[in-house]
Amino acid sequence: MRIAAGVDVGSTQTKAVVMAENGGREILARALVDTGANVRKAAENAFLAACHSAGIATPEVGFVVGTGYGRYNISFGNTQMTEISCHARGAHFVYPSTRTVIDMGGQDSKAISVGGDGQVMDFVMNDKCAAGTGRFLANAADVMGIGLDEIGPLSLRASRPVRITTVCTVFVESDILSYLAQGKKAEDILGGVHLAIAKRTLSLARRVPIEPQITMTGGVARNSGMVRALEEVLGTTMQISPDAHFMGAIGAAVFALEKMDQSFESSTWRPEHAAGSGH
Amino acid sequence: MADVRHTEYRGNIHQLQKELMQKWYERLNQAAETGTPHTASLMISGNCVELLEAFGVVPIYPEVNALQLAIRHQSLDPILAAEEIGYAADNCAYVKADIGCYLKGITPTGGKLPKPSLVLCNFVGCNTYVKWFEHTAVLTGSRLYVLDVPFLRLDEPSRDDIDYVVRQLKELVTILENITGKKFDYDRFVQAVRCSAQVEELWSQIKHLARRSPSPFDAYFDAITLMGPLYVYRATPEGLNFFRAALDEMQAKVAAGQGVFDQEKFRLVIEGPPPYPFFRTFRDMFAKWKACTVASTYSTVGGLWEFGARHDPDHPFESVAMHMLAQNVTNRNFLQRYEQIGRYVKDWNADGLIIHFVKSCRLFSAGQGDMRDYATRTLGIPTLYIESDLEDPRYFAEAQTRNRIDAFFEALEHSKMTATAV
Repeated sequence: MRIAAGVDVGSTQTKAVVMAENGGREILARALVDTGANVRKAAENAFLAACHSAGIATPEVGFVVGTGYGRYNISFGNTQMTEISCHARGAHFVYPSTRTVIDMGGQDSKAISVGGDGQVMDFVMNDKCAAGTGRFLANAADVMGIGLDEIGPLSLRASRPVRITTVCTVFVESDILSYLAQGKKAEDILGGVHLAIAKRTLSLARRVPIEPQITMTGGVARNSGMVRALEEVLGTTMQISPDAHFMGAIGAAVFALEKMDQSFESSTWRPEHAAGSGH
Repeated sequence: MADVRHTEYRGNIHQLQKELMQKWYERLNQAAETGTPHTASLMISGNCVELLEAFGVVPIYPEVNALQLAIRHQSLDPILAAEEIGYAADNCAYVKADIGCYLKGITPTGGKLPKPSLVLCNFVGCNTYVKWFEHTAVLTGSRLYVLDVPFLRLDEPSRDDIDYVVRQLKELVTILENITGKKFDYDRFVQAVRCSAQVEELWSQIKHLARRSPSPFDAYFDAITLMGPLYVYRATPEGLNFFRAALDEMQAKVAAGQGVFDQEKFRLVIEGPPPYPFFRTFRDMFAKWKACTVASTYSTVGGLWEFGARHDPDHPFESVAMHMLAQNVTNRNFLQRYEQIGRYVKDWNADGLIIHFVKSCRLFSAGQGDMRDYATRTLGIPTLYIESDLEDPRYFAEAQTRNRIDAFFEALEHSKMTATAV
C-alpha cells in the first residue's frame, strides 16, 4: 500500500488529507485547523493530525504535496501545486463527471473548466478584491452579529430578499446597516447578500464554459444559503460533497500519489524530524 | 519543479541601452539648466520624432519617465502628490506619476527635467493624452499643440485621413520654426526618416529572430529595454548604431544556440504593458517555468514594423502620417489587434497568451475580456488573464498573481505532457 498526503494552507483554514493507494485510491483521514498567524505551524499541525487520525506514522507517507496560498511556507513535504489544479483534480476524484468547478474560499472565488482526466482546461478568478468570496459573507455576518454557520440557513427563510447594490466587502456594511435601520428582517438582508454574491460568481463563471456537471468546492460550499442562491442563478443543481472543504487537499493528495512514481528532486523532510514538534 | 528562479539577459546590449538612456537624461538636464537644446514632450504611440530631429529638438517622453520611476520603485510618491491635488484613484497612473513629477520636481535619475519648449500632444489612440498634455502645458507654462490623428476605423486610413494629418504636420513645422528660430531643413528631415526606416528594419529582424527556438531574447521583458532607444534615438545615427549592435548580438546568440533559456519550455505571447513597479518580480514568475515571450503587442505601441511597414524617405510627410495613423498598435482597432495576436501565435509558434489588464488604463485594456474569449475559443490557445497596473504599485498582489501564473503553467505543462504521450 502506498500512502501520500495533501496539505492545503488556505487564508482561513488549513486542511490535510492522507490518501492510500492499494488497487483503488482511498481517503484514510482528514484534518482541519485554523491557519492563524503561524502558517508553517498550521500546516504541520494539520498534517500530523491527519496522520494521527489515519493511525500511521509520518514516515509512512511517501509523498506530500502542498497547496493553497501558504504552500510555499510549508516547511515539509516534497513539492507544491496551486489550489486551482488541486481543486480540479480533487473534484474529479470525488465526482469523475465534473466538468466545471466553482470554488469559493476565504479570499478567492474561482471557476475552473475541467477536462476528462481532471486537468485544468481554463480558469478565471476574482480580481484583487474580496467581493464574492467567503470574506464578504464573514463580514456580513459580523455586522449583523450572527454566527457564520447560521447565516446560510437564515437566508433560506428570506421571503423578500433586499437588493444589495455593492459587492464591495467593506461597503456592504453600510448597505446592511442601512437596511437594518429601515427595519428589514435579518433573513431578507441575508437573502440579498447571498444573491448578490451568487450573481457575481455567475458572471465570473460565464467566462469559462459552464458545462455540466458542476461541482462546488471550498469552505463556502458548507453554506446552504449560498448553495441555493448559486443554483438559482445557475438554473441547475451542483454536486456538493461533504468533503467540499477538503477538495484542494484531496486533489493535492491525488497529485502526491501520482508524483511518487516520478523522479523528483525534493526534500522528504517530515515534521517529526524537527526538534520539539509534538505528536 | 524548475530550478530557475531568476533570469538576466546575457549580453552587452542592455548595458549599451543604459548608457544611451543616461546620455538622453543628461541632455534633458542640460536643457533644464541652460535652456538648450530645445525639447518637446510627446507621446510614444505613433510619435513623430523624425520631425523633431529635423530641428534638433530633443524628445521628452513622459511615459518613459513614468515607467523609469516605477521600475525604480519611486512611482507612488508622485502618484500620491497628484491625488492630493484632486486626481482620482482610477485616473491613468502614468498621468499621475508624470504630473506628480512636475509638482514635486522628481526625475527618475535625480537630474532635472526641462520646461518643454513645446508640449506636443500626438493624440494617437488614447484620448487621455489630450487632458494629460493640457495639464502638462498648464503646469509648465509651455506652448501646447494637439495633433489630431483619426482613429483607424477600417483596415487602412483613407486618403483624407492621411492628408488631414500631413496638413497638421506642416503646421507643426511652422510652429517648430518659430520656437527654434531655425528654418526647416527638409534634407535633414528626409535623413531622419531614412534613419528611422533603417532602424525599423533592424528592429524587425531582431523580432523575427524570436521565431527561433530557443529565442535569443525575451520579446517582452528584453524588448522593453530596447524600446527606450527605439523611441528616443530612432531617427538618429546613434539609434542606427545601437540597433546594428543589437542585431549582431542576437544573431550571434542564435548561431551559438543560446537562448533566454537554453532549454526553453514554453513560448508565450504577452498583451498589455507590464507591472513596472514589480518588473523583476513579474519576470521571475515566468523564469521559474522557463517560459520565454516570443512576441508582444506592447512592443508595438511605438510602431508595428515586424509585418513590413516602414517610414519612407521618398514620401517623408506621408509616411510619418501613416505611422501615426496605422503603424502603431494603439491607434489600430481591436480586430486588428486580434489578427496581430493570431499571427504571433501561429508564426512565432506560441504555446499560450498572457493578457495583463491595466487597472488605470481603461482605453488600452477595455475589450481584453472579449480578447480572452477570442483567444481561447477561436484561436484555441490557452490564455491567462491577470490584472494589476503598469505604474501604481497599490494594484499589484504578488501572491495572487503568482498563483494564477503557476496554475496556468501547471495546466499547460499537463497538456504538453499529454500531447507528447499521444
